Amino acid sequence: MQKKQIAITLGIMCFALTMAIVIQLRTVYSSTSTVPQVLVEDSLRDEVLRWKEKYDNTYGELTESTKRLEEIRKLATQNDITSMAKQQEITESNMLLGLTEVTGPGFQIILSDNNTGITSEGNKVLDISSQIVHYDDLLQVVNALNNAGAEAISINGHRLVQTTAITCEGNIIKINGQRISSPFTIKAIGSPATLSGSLTMIGGYLYIMQEDGVNVQTSQSDSLVVEAYNGVINYKYIKLKK
Amino acid sequence: MKKEKKNEIIMNVIISAVCIVLFAIMFMQFKTIEETDITAIENMRETELRTAIAEWKGKYEEALEQLEENKKSIKEYEQTIEDNGEASELIDKDLQEADMKLGKTDIYGEGIVITIKNTDDYQIQAYDLIDLINELRYAGAEAISINDVRIFSTSYIVQLADGLTLVSDQRVTSPFVIKAIGNQTYLSSSLSLKDSGYIDRNKARGMDIELETRNSIQILKNTSNREVKYMKEGEK
Repeated sequence: MQKKQIAITLGIMCFALTMAIVIQLRTVYSSTSTVPQVLVEDSLRDEVLRWKEKYDNTYGELTESTKRLEEIRKLATQNDITSMAKQQEITESNMLLGLTEVTGPGFQIILSDNNTGITSEGNKVLDISSQIVHYDDLLQVVNALNNAGAEAISINGHRLVQTTAITCEGNIIKINGQRISSPFTIKAIGSPATLSGSLTMIGGYLYIMQEDGVNVQTSQSDSLVVEAYNGVINYKYIKLKK
Repeated sequence: MKKEKKNEIIMNVIISAVCIVLFAIMFMQFKTIEETDITAIENMRETELRTAIAEWKGKYEEALEQLEENKKSIKEYEQTIEDNGEASELIDKDLQEADMKLGKTDIYGEGIVITIKNTDDYQIQAYDLIDLINELRYAGAEAISINDVRIFSTSYIVQLADGLTLVSDQRVTSPFVIKAIGNQTYLSSSLSLKDSGYIDRNKARGMDIELETRNSIQILKNTSNREVKYMKEGEK
């Protein structure tokens, strides 16, 4: 009787042990399968950085060559008045297209999320979301700046060009495909008084945003630098003929 | 007899101990399974990383192409200077390209045409047009016009008191015909996304909206002169 009982107990113990071993094997198996996963990700991350570096290098070279091209164009046209005028026009076009860094008088706006839940007048807000800068606020500000005659605009260093979209994916705002976040620094070149007046007057878009409780800081400047577009304008679908 | 009973108790204790161990092991297993669910997030990160690679690669290739073109132009100019020749031909070519990019020429290409109209339920607001342009740009539109007014980076759309809409100094009214040149499939599918796309979102609000894909769209040149008054090239 006693022998039989001991046999059963041992049998159960063995069973339990086997189970434990199986489970351990499984755990080891699944954890080794996540190791290559992490490795794959690391190598992908490396690859992203490699391509970004390659792009940055090429883009640097491109900026240099654009400058050189402009210089040599000036040199080649200096003896001919009509060509000189055309050269001037090309330079102007590149500024309008956002391909070159530009300087001039303008208006700078810094918009940042207000996380306190209190408006500028010290009242509590009902909807905290109204105190956060959304992508459509940026669209509206840009539209208002253009209406006031802005010649060049950048947001957090990203120049607005003809193909620039400002979008929102979840809670991330993207401009020219790059992530940006609060605080948003918007720089616009144009008449400082006109730009400032039309946005901050009563009923102007910045006035409304400030009423809602967003942190709005503005300043007029005699000399503002608006960055060049950090990309290439390359059309694939546009043709000059039918 | 007494010894047997004692043995029985010991046996029971052992069995219950084994049971406890088994339960513990089972819980451990559950925990492991839960943890392995994280790999789903890791996979997502992987696809995100792959998109990032594709994006940077594309940008790199575009930059490289432009760089080659620049180098070629520089060489051509250098050659003209060396030969004491006329640069007018070269500069005309460059000017033509700049004009095309700036919208000073008529252009053609595949794309979509969207027609939106006021209805009794819904009056189109300026922001509806701003939103649409932004969506089209996001979907890769290379050129856009509203009622044949070409849209640039400096264009603006505002509502006037008399119900007219002003698109960069020119008055337009409903129906609004928006033309966009770009990849037909990208453009139409991104606007037609179920529920969250531009079309569904605005149909729900009562807007009359139609989308048409076309193999050849003409976008007219912009006639107004965009003068540069305030900005200068380069650093201070």
